[in-house]
Amino acid sequence: MMLARVADSLYWLGRYIERAEHLSRLSTVMLNATLDQTDTGAEAVRIALSAVGETDLTAGAFEAAKGLVLDRTDPNSVVSSLARARENARQVRDQITTETWERLNLLYLKVMDRNAGREFADNSVTFLHDIIADVHLFKGAADTTMSHGESWRFMMVGMYLERAQLIAGLLEACFAEGSPRVNDHLALVSLLRMGCALEPYLRVYTAEIEPRHILEFMVFDEDFPRSIRFATSQIEKHLSELARHVEATGRAAPERLAGRLKARLEFADVGELETQGAGELLTTVANECARIHQAIYETFVAYPLEMRLPA
Amino acid sequence: MRRVGVDKVDTGVAAKIQDIDDTPTLPMTGAAYLPGAAYDEMIAHGGDVRAHYAALQSRISTLGAGELADRQRMLERSFLLQGITFTVYGADSATERIIPTDLFPRILPAQEWAKIEAGLTQRLQALNMFLADIYGEQQILMDGVVPRELVLGAPSYRREMQNLYVPHKAYANVCGSDLIRGQDGEFAVLEDNLRVPSGVSYMLANRDASKRTFPGAYREAGVRPVERYPDLLLATLKSMSADWRPNPQVVVLTPGVYNSAYYEHAYLARLMGVPLVEGRDLVVHDNMVYMRTTTGLRRVDVIYRRVDDDFIDPLTFRRDSSLGAAGLFNAYRAGNVVICNAPGTGVADDKAVYAFVPDIIRYYLGEDAILPNIETFLCREPAQLGHVLDNLDKLVVKAVGASGGYGMLVGPHASARERSEFADALKADPANYIAQPTIQLSTAPCLVDGRIEPRHVDLRPFILSGEKTVVTPGALTRVALKRGSLVVNSSQGGGSKDTWVLAEENGHNGHGHGGNGHGADKASASSKESLA
Repeated sequence: MMLARVADSLYWLGRYIERAEHLSRLSTVMLNATLDQTDTGAEAVRIALSAVGETDLTAGAFEAAKGLVLDRTDPNSVVSSLARARENARQVRDQITTETWERLNLLYLKVMDRNAGREFADNSVTFLHDIIADVHLFKGAADTTMSHGESWRFMMVGMYLERAQLIAGLLEACFAEGSPRVNDHLALVSLLRMGCALEPYLRVYTAEIEPRHILEFMVFDEDFPRSIRFATSQIEKHLSELARHVEATGRAAPERLAGRLKARLEFADVGELETQGAGELLTTVANECARIHQAIYETFVAYPLEMRLPA
Repeated sequence: MRRVGVDKVDTGVAAKIQDIDDTPTLPMTGAAYLPGAAYDEMIAHGGDVRAHYAALQSRISTLGAGELADRQRMLERSFLLQGITFTVYGADSATERIIPTDLFPRILPAQEWAKIEAGLTQRLQALNMFLADIYGEQQILMDGVVPRELVLGAPSYRREMQNLYVPHKAYANVCGSDLIRGQDGEFAVLEDNLRVPSGVSYMLANRDASKRTFPGAYREAGVRPVERYPDLLLATLKSMSADWRPNPQVVVLTPGVYNSAYYEHAYLARLMGVPLVEGRDLVVHDNMVYMRTTTGLRRVDVIYRRVDDDFIDPLTFRRDSSLGAAGLFNAYRAGNVVICNAPGTGVADDKAVYAFVPDIIRYYLGEDAILPNIETFLCREPAQLGHVLDNLDKLVVKAVGASGGYGMLVGPHASARERSEFADALKADPANYIAQPTIQLSTAPCLVDGRIEPRHVDLRPFILSGEKTVVTPGALTRVALKRGSLVVNSSQGGGSKDTWVLAEENGHNGHGHGGNGHGADKASASSKESLA
């Protein structure tokens, strides 16, 4: 049992943290790719920017990355995501442990520091590396110090739902119908890096990097924590636990929606994906995630009071 | 002469040097600590270090300016990290600021504390009896001990509370009284705080910090712990509903994240392990209060509200409030929920009623007040108004309804123009003002710009009252950080410091053989103690 408003804040805390990590990673991979004297740089910039829905692809890599990371006027930048994560954490300060809070607060103070812009300009890769490492510390602190009860589960649902959507978006930028075909080896490596998938991928498929395998790995892999299937099964698991105590009938049942998506990914035919293209499946993932989000609201947060009043 | 101005002295050796030489000056960059005319907490009039400060003073005197600055920075960083901050919003940025916190604790010996504890217990007991009386039979008004119009005409008097049952007659469950020590060294009560007193989280956070900053001196001095405050608060709150619900659901009601005391609300909720709710989380149905949870509506039994009376229920009090819950007061009247502190307690800490507290104590308890009041002139009385107007340059004049250091004239520090403007306001509405002599608050050593200097301080202990009345052995010491200033309110540039209440006279270890204690100071970083 916890306050509906608090559950909402924890859910968003999870989402914003995941978003900040993902955007930092897109930015650092993009900046790294442009160091080499090849065409891959431009390709990596295109992938990263279209993955976050940016339509203006004319900006240089550094400017684009700086915007993604430090633009306070952009609600979807890293700094805005971290500020929102902290704002939500502050609202539920009594629900998260001091260890968890301190990691996030430190990170917030770092990106809000008035020298942040200069530090980013001086050594953006180190700056971003540190942000990602700090996000990992935050997640580790949450995992090892918080009770794995309701509070933590709402954070996890937010985190994995955000992750499923972000990875789907990243793959759409490369494999949806209408997107330019990505075949260049270095560009594909950049894609894997953007999904934090390169090393785990190599262990499964070796250095034979092929679009087909990348799709298979990032969508269907059972064990890789950033595959859409893995994220979906986590969402389903946490939602089922959360829903156990909800008595009201006629609710939207987010755990059932999550279970359906999970089953679809478990039993999908990888060969089909190859012949028909990945676009349709990725769109389905995005739409189902949006429906799950809606159902979470209707079940746990913004439910109609009449249905829950004592008789 | 003593060896002065040495940075990073080896602590063991330095402690011995200090034992041989115990003149009260401190080797701070060669400058001595020189208290002014006011009573100083550390240095007696003859220049000797007071015995209960010996452990700390000897510790401080071995630390160079550099090390003190390091520890001050460490302290501020720890506050920043914990989020004990308020946010200053700029044009395109938000800056986190901490409330200034001083490195050096203020120390109170056991026998002084015993008197404070007895005095505060007596005072709160009498004030709760007073509240039960004026919201009941009003015997004290009929007996003419306190003027009827003073009570019933006060804006903080809540007619809605008349004849309402309050368990244990505990109207004010949490009280934070402001005490000051005058030139004679005696403590007196400056103000009672029975509405929604704040600052207790600073008492706890300052303690956490000072244990890390001076672990050796802390152990050597023999300090009583304050860490039980949260569970005593929970027990107090639960005792308010014990007669009718065996395992009551307690919540803390906060105005929200933008309130300056939000950190404290979240802190107390977390340490008590109860939900921190906002008005929008509460629903009143059939005179029952519920909170919206993820699994539906859940009954609420006791509300520790950190929202002012005016805002708790738009149906009963201010209609434009969105901080409370509509129908809350009716649920309270129906006996289905307990609001702590009870609405309407403000009438007992009214600045005009204050003048009558010694009489109130005598009336209900048949005892003299253990802790004296400050002499107070009620401007509503024509003769006293005349006296106040004639002596504006010597008095502090306060608006009855205001708090936080606002609406106040400190006569000796004001310009002639400010005094004459204030005199006009006084004449226009005399009943709204009281006046008190300017008290030279006691001073305590503070670290200011790398030097140890005396600054004026007050003392805010916290008293809990439910089934039982308990005074936590500690307090928030508020500091006027501007040299010579007597205003300690945080909204007016005040800071705070930890307060050590000693368990026994002069500490159980005595002074001068605390080698292990001193050694432990060096290892301070590794000895962090958690409050949770």
